[in-house]
Amino acid sequence: MSWLARVTEERHGDVAIAVVDGEVDASNAADIAERLRQLLTNRSAALVVDLSPTSYLDSAGINLLFDLGTELGDRQQQLHIVVPPAAPIARAISFTGLDIAVPTHATREAALEQATR
Amino acid sequence: MSEPSALQYVTDAALAYLPQDALLEELLSRISEVLSADTAAILLLEDDEPGQVLRARAACGIEEEVDAGVAIPLGRGFAGRIAAERQALAIDDVDHADILNPILREKGIRSLLGVPLLVEGRVIGVLHVGSLSPRHFTDEERELLQLAGDRAAAAIGHAKLHTSEISAREAAEAATRRLESLQRITDAALAYLPQDALLEELLSRITEVLSADTAAILLLDEQEHILRARAARGIEEEVEAGVTIPLGRGFAGRIAAERQALAIDDVDHADIHNPILREKGIRSLLGVPLLVEGRVIGVLHVGSLSPRHFIDDERELLQLAGDRAAVAIEHARLYEQRRLAEALQRRLLPSNLGGIPGIELASRYLPASGESLGGDWYDVFPLGRGRIVVAVGDVVGHGLAAAAVMAQLRTALRAYAADRHPPAEVVARVNHLMWNLGPTAMTTLAYAVVDPDEESLELVTAGHLPPLVVDRGGAASFLPLQGGIALGTTRVARYESRVHPFPTGTTVVLYTDGLVEVRGRTIDEGLDRLRAAAATGHSSLEALCSGIVERLVPEQRPDDIAVLAARVRPQPERLSASWPAHRESLVAVRQLLRRWLRARSATEDEIYDITVACQEACANAVEHAYRPGRESFEVEATYADRRVRVTVRDHGRWRAPRGSNRGRGLPLMHALMERVDVEHSEEGTVVVLERTLGEEDA
Repeated sequence: MSWLARVTEERHGDVAIAVVDGEVDASNAADIAERLRQLLTNRSAALVVDLSPTSYLDSAGINLLFDLGTELGDRQQQLHIVVPPAAPIARAISFTGLDIAVPTHATREAALEQATR
Repeated sequence: MSEPSALQYVTDAALAYLPQDALLEELLSRISEVLSADTAAILLLEDDEPGQVLRARAACGIEEEVDAGVAIPLGRGFAGRIAAERQALAIDDVDHADILNPILREKGIRSLLGVPLLVEGRVIGVLHVGSLSPRHFTDEERELLQLAGDRAAAAIGHAKLHTSEISAREAAEAATRRLESLQRITDAALAYLPQDALLEELLSRITEVLSADTAAILLLDEQEHILRARAARGIEEEVEAGVTIPLGRGFAGRIAAERQALAIDDVDHADIHNPILREKGIRSLLGVPLLVEGRVIGVLHVGSLSPRHFIDDERELLQLAGDRAAVAIEHARLYEQRRLAEALQRRLLPSNLGGIPGIELASRYLPASGESLGGDWYDVFPLGRGRIVVAVGDVVGHGLAAAAVMAQLRTALRAYAADRHPPAEVVARVNHLMWNLGPTAMTTLAYAVVDPDEESLELVTAGHLPPLVVDRGGAASFLPLQGGIALGTTRVARYESRVHPFPTGTTVVLYTDGLVEVRGRTIDEGLDRLRAAAATGHSSLEALCSGIVERLVPEQRPDDIAVLAARVRPQPERLSASWPAHRESLVAVRQLLRRWLRARSATEDEIYDITVACQEACANAVEHAYRPGRESFEVEATYADRRVRVTVRDHGRWRAPRGSNRGRGLPLMHALMERVDVEHSEEGTVVVLERTLGEEDA
């Protein structure tokens, strides 16, 4: 379901930024995981997943971010997440402990600052 | 031999059963024998230019008479006088008599005796005997010859009658066969065959009817000016080899160019372009043009492996067959095109309008009278965040070309919309694409995005009439005319998008101009009639569409018509729905639940929490309970005393989540809701979730 969410790519040096606009659920989580993996080259030091325009995220999306975090960690690459604290999805991320397992930031700038340090 | 037995001998009834030629020969031989004559001949009266003549029909001893086809005019010479005077005549000395036939003299005949052959008093010919030595025929001999002649005449008359009966019957049978042949070739049932089968059947019938060895149909490619073998019988290689014949060249090429039948009796000495005809050993050919309304569409020809002269009848029959084949081919060709276009259009129009939760939809497509389809098209698809697109378009033209444009329009619209361009930008991009497709892609379009949450409708039009809106009370009004140039008319066009209020329960009706344009009346009249038809309260959109069609659509339509109606269903107090157990259902459940919660005045955080919790329960039903797509699950939501209760029920076997990152659903439900009950039983799993609205936190 391509209309459910759209992933756009930006580059900031050797950091890849993926903006996820829309809703992530069990029906499109696998497709989005695939998209995110494609954004990472071997040269990429880090991937920032910006969830600011993400209007829906449940355990399917949270699981994918956990998996991705583990995968990147194994390859000496970093995963950062951007979630505005007031966003509804921030609560699920906090309940599941994703914000502990994966560095989570309120803004993209904060994430980039960490990622390029 | 005594007279009666001699007489018996020459009038033997059994002779009557011989074919006429054999009968006459046998008669002459017996008469010569009985009368000890050296020669005998029978001449029969025939109609010939300038009048009646006697022509030697059978001879014995003077066979040359028959071979030379000697004709004696009535009244002249020996036999002529006998026939004219209806009397026997004896000539004792040929040298001193008026003898017209030189053969008699050349043969050295000296004496002659002849009698008329009479049937019912009518002269049908002459029988005569001759002697190489001078002889005087006696009266007895004359009487015997006359008696033999009478019997012979009766036999000949009988045989003649018999022959004419046979030939009449044969003619009748031939006429019947010809009629049957024609019927076999022009059989109406053939029209229902697919084109390939039709052509093969036609060729098979034509070869059978004309007793031909080969038959072929070549169709004209009007662009390339060549004839291409399309179907063949006996010379199947022609089709397999993809034989093409330039227009005007060779046998078939000439027929097509000159639009005339052509027969070639001897292929060896003719200009034949197609080598396969020679290789196959075809000796004679007959071909006719295939004409549709005076236009050549191809050539039909038959061939014979033995030299053959095709007669006019056969040429006419082949032309008739060709005419019929041409109509059938053209019919099949048009039918095939129409079938293709119809199939294409059917695929372009949404087949199932029931698939979008919380949205009621209905549509009608009515082709123009006498046409199977035109260029009208409509589409409905979800856009994310619960929004849906409803669109109606009218492509210029009809048939396959229009269907092809529709296909591109549909794909482009869906693609640009999925890319999240704002509506005006979606339409501008589609315009650019249509412009590049060329002038056949001109299209009008009404494109509307319905947002049930915002209770709004965002509209862009491109040369299209404004949609009609019917409010919950049944009052109907048109959205204001918005302008916007038709798609494909300019390379770059700007489109305006306007947002209109669209409260839940409001209906929007999109339509094409065929609905409101009536010959002899203004569009305003048509629009008024549409508004009046839509305003008369309808229980469902199906009823609304039926009412509109009933009141506005005439029996005879010059243009095709598309109508599409959409309405956001009001949220019920109690939500209850069943869903197929696959992942795509999750989005639909979420959207419906969201709107239902919004109608209960839940905050965005509350909506998110409850939705996620519900989704986790649904995801379990979809992923763990069944193999995907096999079954269904139910979602029920109730609201009382600010307390929301969501129940998710499946009918499968609960399987514990597997994998390190798989067990988050249940903890998440507990974190987001005040109460989470999961019950497993033989019948399946029931998850009950509760949350009070307006509390600080879950």
